[in-house]
Amino acid sequence: MSTERDVQQTLCRMCDDRCGIDVHLEDGRMVDIVGNKAHVWNKGRLCVKARAAIDMAYHPDRLLAPLKRTADGWQEIPLAQALDEIAARLTQIKERDGARSVSVWKGEAIGFGQQEDIARRFIHAFGSPNYLSNDSMCYAARYFGYKLVDGAWPVADLENARVIVMWGANPPHAHPNMTQYITAARRKGAKLVVVDPRLSAIARRADVHAQPHPGTDGALAWGLMRELIRTGGYDREFVERHTVGFPELSAYAATFTPEMVEQETGVPAATVIELAALMAESAPRVSMYVGNGLEHHENGVNNIRAVVSLDALVGAVDREGGNRFVQPAPLRTLTLYDDVPLEHLGPLGADRFPVLYDLRQECHTMTAMGAILEGDPYPLRAMVLTGANPLLTNPNTERVRQAFESLDLLVVRELFMTETASLAHYVLPAASFLERSELHTHAKHQAVTLTRRVCDFPDVQDEYQFWHDLAHRLDMGAYFPWDDETALNRWLLEPSGLTLEELEAHPEGVTYSPLAPPPLERGPFMTSSGKVEFASRYLKDLGYDELPVYKSPEYRGTPDDEYPFVLMTGARKLLYLHSRFRNIPRFRTAVPGPEVEMHPDDARALGVAEGDTVTVTSRIGNVTIPVHVVSPEEIRPGELQITHGWSEANVNLLTHDDRFDPISGFPLMKSVEVRVTKVGAGE
Amino acid sequence: MPRHVAIVGNGAAAISALETFRAHDRESRVTVVSGEPCAAYSRVLLPYFLRRKVPYAHLFIRDAAFYRDLDVDLLLGSTVERVDVGARRLELANGGTIPFDRLLLAPGSSPVRPPIPGLEGPEVHHLWRIDEAGHLDRLFREGARALVIGAGFVSLQAAWAARQRGLAVTVIELAERILPTVLDEEGAHILQASILASGVDLHTNTRTEGLARDEQGVLRVSAEGLPHFAADVVIVGTGVRPNDHLLADHVETARRGIAVDDTMQTAVEGVYAAGDVARGPIVGGGPRAIHALWPTAVEQGKIAGANLAGARVAYTGSLSMNVTEMFGVTVASLGRFAAEEGDTVYRMDTLPGIRYLKVVLREGVPVGAIALGGPEAARALGYVRPYVRRRAPVADVEAVMAGTHVARGVTRAWAGTRPGPVNEPIRERDLCA
Amino acid sequence: MRIVAVDPDACVACRNCEYACAFRQTGDFDRTRSHIRVNYHPAERACVPLTCMHCAEAWCMEVCPAGAISRNAETGAVEIDKDHCAGCKMCLLACPFGNIGFDSTHGVSRKCDLCGGDPRCVGSCTSGALEYVEENDAFAFKRDALDAKLRQALRLDRGRR
Repeated sequence: MSTERDVQQTLCRMCDDRCGIDVHLEDGRMVDIVGNKAHVWNKGRLCVKARAAIDMAYHPDRLLAPLKRTADGWQEIPLAQALDEIAARLTQIKERDGARSVSVWKGEAIGFGQQEDIARRFIHAFGSPNYLSNDSMCYAARYFGYKLVDGAWPVADLENARVIVMWGANPPHAHPNMTQYITAARRKGAKLVVVDPRLSAIARRADVHAQPHPGTDGALAWGLMRELIRTGGYDREFVERHTVGFPELSAYAATFTPEMVEQETGVPAATVIELAALMAESAPRVSMYVGNGLEHHENGVNNIRAVVSLDALVGAVDREGGNRFVQPAPLRTLTLYDDVPLEHLGPLGADRFPVLYDLRQECHTMTAMGAILEGDPYPLRAMVLTGANPLLTNPNTERVRQAFESLDLLVVRELFMTETASLAHYVLPAASFLERSELHTHAKHQAVTLTRRVCDFPDVQDEYQFWHDLAHRLDMGAYFPWDDETALNRWLLEPSGLTLEELEAHPEGVTYSPLAPPPLERGPFMTSSGKVEFASRYLKDLGYDELPVYKSPEYRGTPDDEYPFVLMTGARKLLYLHSRFRNIPRFRTAVPGPEVEMHPDDARALGVAEGDTVTVTSRIGNVTIPVHVVSPEEIRPGELQITHGWSEANVNLLTHDDRFDPISGFPLMKSVEVRVTKVGAGE
Repeated sequence: MPRHVAIVGNGAAAISALETFRAHDRESRVTVVSGEPCAAYSRVLLPYFLRRKVPYAHLFIRDAAFYRDLDVDLLLGSTVERVDVGARRLELANGGTIPFDRLLLAPGSSPVRPPIPGLEGPEVHHLWRIDEAGHLDRLFREGARALVIGAGFVSLQAAWAARQRGLAVTVIELAERILPTVLDEEGAHILQASILASGVDLHTNTRTEGLARDEQGVLRVSAEGLPHFAADVVIVGTGVRPNDHLLADHVETARRGIAVDDTMQTAVEGVYAAGDVARGPIVGGGPRAIHALWPTAVEQGKIAGANLAGARVAYTGSLSMNVTEMFGVTVASLGRFAAEEGDTVYRMDTLPGIRYLKVVLREGVPVGAIALGGPEAARALGYVRPYVRRRAPVADVEAVMAGTHVARGVTRAWAGTRPGPVNEPIRERDLCA
Repeated sequence: MRIVAVDPDACVACRNCEYACAFRQTGDFDRTRSHIRVNYHPAERACVPLTCMHCAEAWCMEVCPAGAISRNAETGAVEIDKDHCAGCKMCLLACPFGNIGFDSTHGVSRKCDLCGGDPRCVGSCTSGALEYVEENDAFAFKRDALDAKLRQALRLDRGRR
């Protein structure tokens, strides 16, 4: 018997890098995954997560049938019955408590773009504004930082930069293939600056590694602005013609002397001066990239705005080697904001964090917990959650658990029985990215790709099919007229002039609009003033400071004897993404479990060695976790790091769901005051 | 002008010379004469065959096609009686002759049989030739009793093979300790513990007085201070002697090998020698010596082969190096590991996988090393070997033995910016002779 | 012949190459089973990938008493034939870079074989520190980098922009 071999080209979505992959099949079964050498983004290179997609898809623990919670435990039921029952419960709850008592929660594992918009479409068609997602604690704060200053989030033009500045971002672990773009720039002579409290993987290659205390990046950015202004190293012409608020900015910056910045951030004054000079001499080819590291702080958005303001000072906005505004793909959108106005129904969190809803139409997941548990501001009783595991990823896990346990209806779509799924009333088997076909936009290259189904399981629905089937049971079928995702894809693609067949023939990506050189004449910018806004009228009108004012993190204040350490959480690790992939056996071989990263001086003072167990306690809760004593260069004394996503030692038992960035509503997760005690030494 | 080159021998040195010669010269006629009747095999592997690690067929390292491709006349089972230097020809035992313009003598060495009364019979073998290994293999029956005379590199490997095959093994060594040419006292001590732990009955400083057959025809051994015991198989491993008689009429050998210069040429113009028979230059200077080792044979063969073909290539000298695993221990040594007055001795016992590591330095230059433990022991000596060979000083011995010097050397050479303790990066061409 | 060229100035010690190689050898992610190793020295921030260079004069190959090491005519890789390897470790002693390992389970030496001409270490190197290139081009990135540095220096001499 001969084996039938086949290669299917699609995209990897083990993380959001979306690298081109060649999936090798034998008799229809996936046997290998290698990089697509022609793909616009990854050029054949692939991190080792990609190959493990096969293990994920064929995992023995994969959920393949709908499950219903009964008094006797989980019971397998037919898919049609599950959908019928779910539709009936949703209808009942809607009739009893109103449509807004029902919510959808879309997780990172499902992706963004098309899949996000289908979920949004569903809940809005249902009549509820309560679309919840991972975005209310990831990504959106950076979006605001850029949107509020520049009017849009540009892409970093790393390859053409003379200086690259990575702010709280560690591409080798978080976006592996971005690293090759940094290497390409460095080979052309670019200098690399990394701003990170930890000596991260990318910091190993930095010409300058500025190591600020967690949450103090804003002070560093202000210090750099002061130096650029003081020395005249800023782009006077750009600032005069294209910005608003420079006098206010200039006045506020004056207090951020290098000495003050050193005291606040721990970055030496000489480094501040050196960095500012480096940026000035390299302008406008200064390419800055802001990572998630800046988001989870009390002053996250303003710190990010301060960094983004630096871009404008050096004239790097929409410039080769700086950052570039890209054309969005000319695709249809699925959201219904214009068709179904819902703002009057009080989207959860929109009153407390108006920017979050106004600019992103995101509801606030932490506010949702109060709505579930206390009916504040109104009861939230049902949730359909897809590809998310808030029990590991949202702050204050105990409260999340209590909330989810008290829902009248929790439906979870998942590949595996996660911590969150185990609390559901219905668990529906979900399709992995290898089992669905969707459109993806690679903004940096202004290219679009179509993914393929390379395997299939009966009764495992793709995202579209699920929302479609549920919508048709809820009398919302008119909003989901496409029979299947291919029909949907065709409809989405129509205005672009591209065809599905074209995309199928070019899995390496099809350019929808060639990258043009940046316009000589810049602006108008997509802000309310049409200019780059150092000072934001929009924020002022909402009652915020108009400048990205710096606020020192609370832990930097009076020393707290009860919680003397500051804990960062969520540093990315190559093999795991948030709560995913802990069940891939070979990943466990490489990185068997959670650990708290600690400076050797702290370990010595606590009397602990590598592998010893400690209890880390915050005002919210505690976890018991092994110690990893890092090299003295890798973290500062008094600062700790625990990566999230481990059920064995879930760091979100420690994080705050009641201390927020006032603009984004993002929780404080990267500067948590804690104490550490050696296990066995007595609490 | 095409010539006729004759090569006596078919072992490591002969084959290496042949390959190198043919890389330079495809024209000349080449004749290889070997006293052994079979294809070329690897003597080093015989103990591995005995312990069933290597099948018999894999002992052979070159097949007929090899000689055919290199256009070589191969005469197997032909003993060379004498070399007629004046007439430029080899005289064979069967009466034939082979003319040559240039000659390589690579006939190897032969085991020495000590003058012990009664040391004869079908149970008694060296572990030297492939046929002997075959005989021993048949005698290695589970439960049989083996006597190993001598505790050298080959005989101890034979003892381990016998032990692994389920034989009761007694090793008797006349000298004070095991492996005097391979290990220092401390290393020998560590290995000895493993030998004893494997159940081998080991007696050093003991004379084997004689063997005699009892009425059942079984060999009974008498040894100094030991009760008589029976042996079903006897392995004799008390050293080897170079087969240097072929040139004895022309040069003084005193049975200590044929002296060669750094081109592997003997005192006789056009006559070269390599391998176990050649007393050649050694790394670090000093009197010429025989290093009867596989790697030395390969190196010398390469040099001889090139010079036979007219290329002028000089040998920088041989370096003694041994490595094997026996009794569960990787044993490796290199160069002059016995410390002398004025040497610096470096001991590192903390490297993972290594139980004993010693490096001897003379004026900052490593001259020899010993390592025992897991496979890492061999790797560690690999790191230091180029320094010993090139007589290069080492700034940070620990970094070299841990292998981190390679990384640092590469970093400094390529990145050109990073500080830190480094050693000169090693380039590929410095490594081999 | 192509080789795996390594550029320590681009390496971030992310371990992708080690995992990919270990996976090819064993189906698992035990980095100690990888043929390529990345040494990371935090104090110097040095990340150095080390893998077999498939030396033109491969000493390991020459001294192998079992004739178990040979050069693959197609890829140029110096390869170990596991069936013929006796496990004597002569090659470990021969390699000055520590690029030969030992498989204690099977009692044989192990080393890089360039994955038959499509080295997985390179395919999984997301920093671009590893390239599978013709020997002559192996260090083109070094020339390019030097060129860029000089150009930048000249440009700075002439003043900003």
